[in-house]
Parts: sequence; C-alpha cells; structure tokens
Amino acid sequence: MKTILSKVSQLLITLIGVTFLTFCLTYIAPGDPALMVLEAGDTIVSQEMIDATRKEMGLDRPFMEQYVRWVSGAVQGDLGTSYSGKKPVTDKLLEGLGGTALLAVSAFLLNVLLSIPLGIYSAVKANKLPDFIIRFFAFINVSMPSFWLGMLLLYIFGLKLHWVPIATSVISFKALILPAITLSLVMAAKFTRQVRTVIIEELHQDYVMGARARGMSESQILWKHVLPNALLPLITIMGMGIGWLLAGAAVIEIVFSWPGMGKMAVYAIAMRDYPLIEGFVLWVALIYTAINFLVDLSYSILDPRLKARG
Amino acid sequence: MKQSWKKWLRNATFGVMAVAALGVIAGCSSDNAGPADKSVVKFGVTNFADTLEPTQNYFGWVVMRYGIGETLAKFDEKMNTQPWLAESWSVSADKLTWTFKINDKAKFSNGNKVTAEAVKESIERAFEKNKRAATFFKYTDIKADGQNLIITTDKPYPNVPGFLADPLFIIVDVAAEKAGRDFAKEGPIGTGPYKVKSFTKEKAVVEANENYWDGEVPFKTVEIPSIDDPTTRALALQNGDVDFAVNIGAGDLESMRNDSKFKVDEIASLRTVLARINQKGVLGDEKVRAAFISGTDRESYNKVLLKGTFIPGKAPIPPSLDYGFDGLKDPNAYNPERSKQLLAEAGWKDTDGDGYVDKDGKNLEVRFVVYNSRQELPIYAEAVQSDMKKIGIKVNIESVDYNLIDKMGIDGDYDLLISNIVTANTGDPEIFLKWYWKTNLNGENPQNGSGYSNPKYDAIMDQLAVEFDKSKRQSLIIEAQQILLNDGAALFLGYPKTNIVNNTWLTNVVMYPTDYYWLTKDVKPAK
Repeated sequence: MKTILSKVSQLLITLIGVTFLTFCLTYIAPGDPALMVLEAGDTIVSQEMIDATRKEMGLDRPFMEQYVRWVSGAVQGDLGTSYSGKKPVTDKLLEGLGGTALLAVSAFLLNVLLSIPLGIYSAVKANKLPDFIIRFFAFINVSMPSFWLGMLLLYIFGLKLHWVPIATSVISFKALILPAITLSLVMAAKFTRQVRTVIIEELHQDYVMGARARGMSESQILWKHVLPNALLPLITIMGMGIGWLLAGAAVIEIVFSWPGMGKMAVYAIAMRDYPLIEGFVLWVALIYTAINFLVDLSYSILDPRLKARG
Repeated sequence: MKQSWKKWLRNATFGVMAVAALGVIAGCSSDNAGPADKSVVKFGVTNFADTLEPTQNYFGWVVMRYGIGETLAKFDEKMNTQPWLAESWSVSADKLTWTFKINDKAKFSNGNKVTAEAVKESIERAFEKNKRAATFFKYTDIKADGQNLIITTDKPYPNVPGFLADPLFIIVDVAAEKAGRDFAKEGPIGTGPYKVKSFTKEKAVVEANENYWDGEVPFKTVEIPSIDDPTTRALALQNGDVDFAVNIGAGDLESMRNDSKFKVDEIASLRTVLARINQKGVLGDEKVRAAFISGTDRESYNKVLLKGTFIPGKAPIPPSLDYGFDGLKDPNAYNPERSKQLLAEAGWKDTDGDGYVDKDGKNLEVRFVVYNSRQELPIYAEAVQSDMKKIGIKVNIESVDYNLIDKMGIDGDYDLLISNIVTANTGDPEIFLKWYWKTNLNGENPQNGSGYSNPKYDAIMDQLAVEFDKSKRQSLIIEAQQILLNDGAALFLGYPKTNIVNNTWLTNVVMYPTDYYWLTKDVKPAK
C-alpha cells in the first residue's frame, strides 16, 4: 500500500513537472499560435484580427493563469481544444493512438526478435568474424537516418517490386510492414550493441569463470547462468525502448504516410498548437512512468532478493 | 542436419536478394492504360484540415479542393473573377449594392435547390462563424429576391465578387444543418461534383454527387490520401498508388517531365518572395539602393540555385496575374558594373583594400533579416550576400523565427527583410500594394515600416480604393508597380511555382494560380 502511494505521488510530481516545463518552453519559444492559425492561408492578416483570435484562444491571459486553467481542465479529463484543428485534444490523441500503438508494438516485437539473438551471438563470438559482421551492420544502421532507410525500402519493395503499397494513409497489415521494419531496424541496431555489452559484462563475472572451472559447457553457462542474470538489465533496456518507440515514430509516420500520433505532434509543434503539445507530452510522460513502474515491478518478481531488500 | 539447415538459410537469403535485385534492375513495366476500373480515381494531396467545416480556420480550401463545395464566383487561370453559382452580377450606381443572380439550375448534393435565400443563409453563417469574413467586407443588409441575392455594403468595395470567391464563402445548405447534420463530423452539404463519403485528416473518400447541377460527374469514387512527404508522394504516383498528385518536388518533377506516362502542369503561384528595403538606413540613398538591386543576379538564383522551381523576380505582382508583368521595366536589372559605378558616384570606395567599399572610415554594411521556415529564403539571402560581396557591400544575414518577422517589419527593424507573401488571394493585389508601400501617415498604414513614401504612389492607391472599372484598376496597378521599380522600393527575388502531375490516363488535370481548384468536374479519364 505504502509503495503504491509513493509511486502515485511520484507520478503526480513527474506529470506536473513535465507539463509545467513544457508549458514554459512553448511560452518562451518565439511563435504566436494565433498568427500561425491565421497565416495558414498565407494571406495578409490585420493586427485587429490577430488580437481577436488571441483573445478567443485565451492567449491574452497571464502565463500562470493559462497553466492553472489547463491543469484544472486536465484534472477533470478535459485537455482543451486543439487550435489548428478546433477539435478536442483527447479526440485528436485517440485518433492517432491506434496507428502509433500498432506500429510501436510491431516494431518492438521485431526489434526483440532481432536484437536479443544477435546481441547474444555477437557477445558469445566477441571479436570474431560473426561479431564483426553484426557490429558492422549495426554500425551502418545506427548511422543511417531512418527517413533515408525508409525511402530506400519504399523504393525497392514498393516502387520496384510492388510487394507493398507506397502510401495508403490507412491502417492495414500490408501498409504496416515497411514502417514496422524500418523502425525496428533503426532500433535493433542500437539495441544489439547494448545487449552485446550486457552479455559480455556478464560473461566476465567471476561465477562464469567458476562454472568453467567446474567443467560446465559454454552453452550451459550461457543458458542457465548468464542469461537469467542478464535479464534485469535487458528488461530495463527494452522498457526504455517502448517509450522511445511510442514517442519517436514521428519521422517514420511522415515518410510512410502512416496515421499516428508522432506525425500529429510534429505538426502541433510547428503550428504552436499549445493544447495539443501539452496533451501529447502528458501522454508520453504517462507511458514512460507506466513502463518504468512495470519494469520495477518485474524486478521484484524476477529477483526476489530485491523485494526482500525493499 | 545442422549443416543442411544452414545451407537452406544461405540459399534462401541469396534467393531473396536475387529476386530483389532482378526486380530493381528490371524496374516496373510502364503502361498508361490506367486501371481496369476507371470509375475510381486516387489523388495524392497534403491535407491540413481536421474537419470539412468550411468556416473553421482555412478548412474551406480543402472542401473546395476536394470538389465538394463551390462559391458564387471563381478565379480563372489569370485570377479574373468568373461566374460560378452566380451566373452574373452587377453593382448599383452608388457602388454600395451588389446584385448576384443565382444560377437557376444550381442544386445542393441533397437535391435541394440553391435559392438566393439559401445563399443568403450560407453567407450569413460564414460571417457568424468566422471573424475573417468581416476582414473582406462588411454588409449593412443582405436579402433574397427570387434568384437574386442583394448585398448592401457599408462602403464601396470594388472586389466583392472576388471576396465571395474565397472558400470561406462556400455555399452550403444551412437547412440541412438545421435538420441535424453536423458539418464538422459528417461534412457539409455543398453544390460540388462530389460529396463526402468518409473523412479523416489522413484520408478522404468522396463520391459522385448524383444531383450535380453542372454536367456529368466522371468518377463514382475518388480516394484522397494525404501524403505529407513530397518524395513519398512522387513514389506513390510512380507506383500507381495514386493517379494524380499535387506539389511534386523539383528532382522528381524533372524525371516525370521526361516520362510519357505522366503529364506535369506547372504554374507561377500568387506568391512573391521579396526583400523589403528600409529607406531610413544606409539604403535610403537612392544610388546605393539601385546599386544593391542591380548587383543581384536573380536569373541565376532561380534557374540554377533553386533549380527552376521559381521564376526570376522583377515586379511586386507575379506573372500569374494579369497585371502587365512583361511590360514592366526594371531600371535595376542585373548589371554589376553599373552597381560599382553607382556606388562610386555615391561616394563609396574601397580605400583600405579590405574588399568592401567604405566612406568616412566605415564599411558599407547592411542587415538582412531572414526566417528559415521556407527553405528558399536562406538560399536567396546567401546568394544576395555573395553577389554583394562582389561589388563591395557587406551583407550580414540575421536569421530570426518567423513569428518575429511581423513585428520587425512594422518597427522597421532591418535594412532588408525577406517575405514570402500571397499577393492577391482574392484576385486583386490592392491590399498587398497598399500595406507594404503606401505612406504610413500617423500610423494609418503600420505594415509599411520601411519608411517608403511617394506621393504619386499614394495618389494611385487612393484612386484604386474607389475605382470599380476592371481595366482602369489594371492600368493603375501597373502604373503603381512601375513607380516601385523606378524607386527601387524593394528587391523582388522570385515567384514560386506550383504543380500538379497526373498519369496520362486522366485528362484536364490543371493547376490554377490559386490553390483552390484541384479535383474539379473536368478531371476525367482521357478518351
């Protein structure tokens, strides 16, 4: 009970901190949402019109008042109305949620399937040919911008081979394949290296040497001792990865015309759509905290010693 | 066993790679017979609208682009106002009362007749829901008399038909809304060739309006995905995922021009990229200003640096509009030798040999304020900077956020200030010409922060405000532009082009200077 209470209060402090900081940053950043909305049509706009729109959006009020208004709305489940869309922020977030969640989960699964076996194999064969090959590809992938990789895959598998559609702007299995692969490749490159490091570290522990001295086979050491011990750091890495995916799919969503939240957030920032930016930040903060919580929880289940220590 | 598994994996990998490579080498077979089912067409766009409510923000643009809504008047290829839902119009002798005769055949997509009463309600609705309406004109009375709509304005406005061609004034069936239809959620009931079937920001599907009043509707269904990345949009067009698409990037455009499968329609938009010149600073000297403008090789900026996606600049109003572009004379056309001579005449010489001209011990330096949210702007600025170096003027580029530009413009806080501006979204550039260059007497024209003032120019602007005759307006506007050119009032850098590209199984896909008409009733399968 006590742990849950402390977790909830931590969560509240985090959320208030994050949303307040975002509010400050958007406020300090040059840019007038009223002007952005009015000049979307690229026409000449009078000052009178700008003032009226600012008033309508509540931008003429003092900074703290704006934030307090937003928080009191948010507490009641009302995240306000998007400036550029004139739609409730909650609706806008929900619209993009399905697409982003599907993309993130698929990419995450692919990433796990790729990075864990490759990372382990690379660690076991450290500084031998397979390790060099895996590291070489991981290095190339990490250095390659994701939008470029996306374009390349679109060109080969969409335009030339016609295996997948290029841009449907709707959610379908066929349309999901390339964005999920692109996103997972970019991620797997980073994760393979991290998994490799974790396993190598584990392989240098004294107990491994002891096991070898006792004549255990390498595969026994790996499966029975090293992997269970490496599980906690691996879960931490993967947990952070989910958060990164949910928040960081924006570029992929734009390249593949995939309907999702990341794309929406990029436009919200460009348009200085404060309520939508706040809503998105709140969502990302919630996801991160929730995943952190789950990771913590899994520690105490996987390693009862931690629970005993409190 | 282990060996054969490995072998299988190796073979499979090679197999996949070989198929992929072959496919890439062979490329796709090109045919332009079009799809088997010609009742469906796909159109790649970029969409900014969250709903299809025409009075929200600028969402009316999208309602019109998708062939759902129409207005009383429309703009032709030269931005002249032409009849649409109104078959004709006239203005009273006192220039205050406009009578629009609504086409008797016109019907809404639900079959209701478009009466003058319905038009009146629709226009009143636009005024009620969006403050922008009143920035075009204000009316004191609006009434319907049979098929005649009579609007009385608070003062004379020469361009009321042009104002009513703005998509904000799309004619919608207000009766349908009163009967419970939610335009924001279900789409408006308009008079266009298509009606909404489904709409999200990512994808719209429209279907033929069986009650269309102005001829046959060529397609049963039009699917309109929003593809924001220009390269992806071009790939989708090449792949046949879409049959036509707007605003293809320069690189892809070139390859599509050379491909018989596609037709490119490209036109100068209504925009002008210009650098406003502050007349209160060092560029207040007529000769220095002329030297500056003369030193800029605008031809090569647009043709080489911007790869022909822009037309070289000369005058305030782009050549897409019918305001005498070709006939205007630029006294400060590119001539670096003349620039050097003018500088010398104005007393600027490089006495200390540092490459920059100086006077009284000070180099000739100017501040060029630029924002980067449009990619061509820094390119122009750097090109100007490099050309100026050749004639001995030091240009210091100052990059600021777009949102600061307005205030800096009003305050005159610059020597040169870049702008990319739509000159005539209602078909008439009067507001643009007035805002930027009419004398700011007692703060009545704050947008002109440059200090530019010419009584002859002001007189033309005053005349323009009350002149209703189209051809007289045209000659006044041409005269005004020539004054600006003679005075070196600003540096006109270029005019961006827009384009629409279609697979040749389609015909009549046309890009207009204004961004309103994309999917029209005329877009149809080629015979």
